[in-house]
Amino acid sequence: MNYIFKRVAQSGLVLLVVGLVAFSMFRFMGDPIDNMLGQERTQEDVERLRDELGLDLPFPVQYWHFLSDAVQGNFGVSYRQGRAVSEIIAERIPATLELAAVSAVLAISLGIFLGVFTAIRREGWLANLIMSTSLIGVSLPTFLIGVMLIYFFSVYLGWLPSFGRGEAVQLGFWSTGFLTVSGWQALILPALTLGLYQMTLIMRLVRSEMLEVLRQDYVRFARARGLSERAVNFRHALKNTLVPVITVIGLQLGSIIAFAIITESIFQWPGLGLLFINAIQFVDIPVMAAYLMLISVIFVTINLAVDLLYVVIDPRLREGGK
Amino acid sequence: MKHFTYSAIALALATSMSAHSATMKWAGTTDPQTMDPHAVISAPVLGFLNNVYEGLVRRGKDMSIEPALAQSWTPIGNGQGWRFNLRKGVTFHNGSVFNADDVIFSYQRASAETADTKGWFAPISEVKKVDAYTVDFMTKAPNPLFPDSIANWMIMDEEWSKEVGAISANKEAGNAATLQTNGTGAYQVTKRQPGLETTLAQYENWWGEEIGNITEATFTPIQNPATAVAALLAGNVDMINPVPIQDAARLDQNPQVTVIKGIEARVIMLGFAQQADVLKYGADKGKPNPFLNPKVREAVAKAISVPAILRTIMRGNAQEASQLVSPAMRGYSIKHDARPSFDMQGAKALLAEAGYPNGFSFGLKCPNDRYLNDEAVCQAVTSMLARVGIKAELDAMPVRTYWPELRQDNFDMYLVGWSPGTFDHEHPIRFLASTPNTEKKLGSWNFGDYSNARIDELLPMIQSEIDETKRQAMVDEVTEIYQNEVAYVPLYIQPLVWGTRSNIELTQRPDNFFILRWASAK
Repeated sequence: MNYIFKRVAQSGLVLLVVGLVAFSMFRFMGDPIDNMLGQERTQEDVERLRDELGLDLPFPVQYWHFLSDAVQGNFGVSYRQGRAVSEIIAERIPATLELAAVSAVLAISLGIFLGVFTAIRREGWLANLIMSTSLIGVSLPTFLIGVMLIYFFSVYLGWLPSFGRGEAVQLGFWSTGFLTVSGWQALILPALTLGLYQMTLIMRLVRSEMLEVLRQDYVRFARARGLSERAVNFRHALKNTLVPVITVIGLQLGSIIAFAIITESIFQWPGLGLLFINAIQFVDIPVMAAYLMLISVIFVTINLAVDLLYVVIDPRLREGGK
Repeated sequence: MKHFTYSAIALALATSMSAHSATMKWAGTTDPQTMDPHAVISAPVLGFLNNVYEGLVRRGKDMSIEPALAQSWTPIGNGQGWRFNLRKGVTFHNGSVFNADDVIFSYQRASAETADTKGWFAPISEVKKVDAYTVDFMTKAPNPLFPDSIANWMIMDEEWSKEVGAISANKEAGNAATLQTNGTGAYQVTKRQPGLETTLAQYENWWGEEIGNITEATFTPIQNPATAVAALLAGNVDMINPVPIQDAARLDQNPQVTVIKGIEARVIMLGFAQQADVLKYGADKGKPNPFLNPKVREAVAKAISVPAILRTIMRGNAQEASQLVSPAMRGYSIKHDARPSFDMQGAKALLAEAGYPNGFSFGLKCPNDRYLNDEAVCQAVTSMLARVGIKAELDAMPVRTYWPELRQDNFDMYLVGWSPGTFDHEHPIRFLASTPNTEKKLGSWNFGDYSNARIDELLPMIQSEIDETKRQAMVDEVTEIYQNEVAYVPLYIQPLVWGTRSNIELTQRPDNFFILRWASAK
C-alpha cells in the first residue's frame, strides 16, 4: 500500500514538473500577439491584448493561473480558434486514439506472428527476406515512410486517399471512422506508418526471445514427448517469451500516441498531434499547455500501471516495500 | 443552424437534377481562424469570407472596384463624405432583408474597439442613415480613396447578430459569429469544423447573376506541402494554394493538373536600421552604423543581382520590384519604374567613397516561414554582399519570433514583405515610409525608423487629394525621395502559384483570394 501511494505521489510530482518546464519554454516560442492581430494593428492593440491574456506576467504566475484553472476543469480558450481548449481536445482525441489503437493492434499481431515465423523458419528465404525488410522499418524515418506510402498507394495506384480521416460518424461525443468504408480506407496508410516501427521492434524482440527459448531443454523434451510442432511452438515456447514482450508493448503504447504528431501531420489526420503542431506554429499557449499535460498524464498513467503490474507479478517487490 | 441544414438539403436536391452542377474540394495552408468578418484582418479569413459575406463594394477579377451591396456611390459636397445607394431586394442567408440598418450596425461593429478592422474607419467622422436604402459616410477630411478602402468590410445582419449574441467581435473568447455565418454572399457555410473542414453551399437566392457551376465546395487546411501536392495528384482535392515553387514545373507536365501562375500584390524588400548609432551584430558590433550613410545602402542595392535570385530560387516565377508596390497597384509611379541594376564595381566604389573600402560585418535578420523561400533568398543576398566585401551574419527564424525581434530593434538589416490592403501606394507609404508615430498611427511597420520630413508632410496631402493628377504627382515625389535615399531595397514581387485538376476553371486574383463563384468544373 505504501509502495502504491509513493508511486502515485511521484507521478503527481512528475506532472507538476512537466508543466513548469513547459511554461518556462513558452517564452521562447515567440509572441502569439502577432498572429492574433492583423496588419493594421496599433501599439495600443498589442498592449491591450497582451494585458488581457496575461502575457506580461512572469511565467511562474502564468503557470499558477493555468494550474488553478485546470484543477477546476478549465483549460482556457485557444488563442487561435477562440473556443474552449477542452472542447477542441474532446473533438480531436477520438481520431488520435482510433489511429493509435489500430496501429497498436497491427503492430502487436503482425509483430508477434512474424517474430514467431522468422524464429521457427530461421533458415528459410522468406524469413530472411522479412528480416532484411524489417531493417527498413527500424531505420527509415516515419516521415519518409509516410510520404513513400502516399506516393505509391494514393498517387501511383490511386487506391487509398492521401490525407484526412474519411467520413466520420458521430456517436454521442465520440466521432468514429470505424463505421464507414472511407473511414477504414483513410486509416490504412497512417496506421501502417505509425505502427511500422513498433511492429519491427516487437517482431525482433519476439524472434530473439523465441530463439532463446527454443534452445531450452523443456522444449526439446516436449518434442521428444511427440507433441505437435504447433503445440510446442505456441503453447510451450511463445508463452514463455511474452513476459518481456508485454513490458515493452506497454511502454511503447505511450510513444505511439506521442509519435502520432509526425504521422498526423503527413496525413493531415485530424487528431491531437496535428492540433499540437498547429498550436506551435501560432504560439497557441493554452492548447500547447493542455496537450503537453494530457500526454504526460498518459505516459505517467501507463508507467504507473506497469509499475503496479510488477507488484502483482513479482511478490518480492511487495516484501521489499515493507 | 437548423435553417442552414434544411436549405442545404433543399439546395442539394434541386441542384442534383441539373446537369452542370459540380462539387469541389480545395486546400490551403492556413485555416481561416474565425468566421467573424470583423475580428481579424488576415488574408485567409478575408479571402474565405469574401465568398460568404459581401461589402458595399467589391473587387473584380482585375482588382477594380465594382458595386456590390451598394449600387452606386457619389461624393458629398466638396469632399465632405460619400453617399452610398444600397441595392434593393437583397436577402441574408437566413432570409432577412438587407437595408441601411444593417450597414449602420456593421459600421458600429467593425469600428468598435475590439474589432481588428477599426483602422479602416479612422477617416470617418459620422455615418448617417438617409433612408432605408441610402447611407452617408462623412469623412474628417476629403477622402477620395474611401470606397476603395472598404472592399473587405463585410455587412452583417443586425437582427441575426443580436439574436445569436454576436453584437461585437471577440477574437479572444469568440462568440456565435466565430463559428456561424449569415451573409448575403453567393455561398453559405453549411458545416464548420475549425482547423479541419469547412463546407460551403451555393445560396439560391443570391442577388448576383455571374456564378459558376460549383454548388458545394469543401475547404481543408493542409499544412504539409508534400501532402497537398500528393492530394492534388491523387485527385483527392481539386485545387491547392500554394504549389511549392520547386514542384511547379513538374506538376505542369502532368496532363491531369494545371498550374496557374500570377503575380501577388506583395513586394519583398530589405530594410535597414536607420537610427541606430552602432552595429548590433557581427564582427564589427559596437562600431558606428554604416547604414546611416545612403551610399552604403545604395551599394547594397547594387551588389544584389535580383535576376539571379529570380532565376535560381524563384525558378523564373517572380518579377523584379522597383518600388514598395507592384505595377498593378493604384498610384504606382511609372516615372520611377527602374530599379538599381546589378553593378559590383559600382557597389565597391560607393563603399570606398563612404569610407568602407574593405567592407564591414553586420547582422541580417530573416524569417524562414513567412514568405516563399525567404531563407534561401537571404542566403543568396548574404553571398552576393560578401562578394563586395560586406559580410552579413544571417539569422533566420520562424515568424512567430521574427516580429518581436524586429520590434525590439534587434537587427542591422532585415527582410520584410508588404501587401497593401487597399491596393494603393499610399498604404506602404503610411506603414513603411512614414516616421513611426504611435499617436498618429503612422509607420507602425517601419522597424528601421526611416524618416523623411517631406514624406511625412506629403502623406496627409496624398490622403485627401481628390484630383488624380495632383495626387499622382505627390506620390511620384515620395517615390523619388525613398528611391534616392534607398530607404528600402525592393527585391521582387512574390509570385502566386496555384494548382488545379485540369477540369477546373477559375480566376486567380492578385490578392490571393479564391473567389468560388468564378470557379467551374467541366
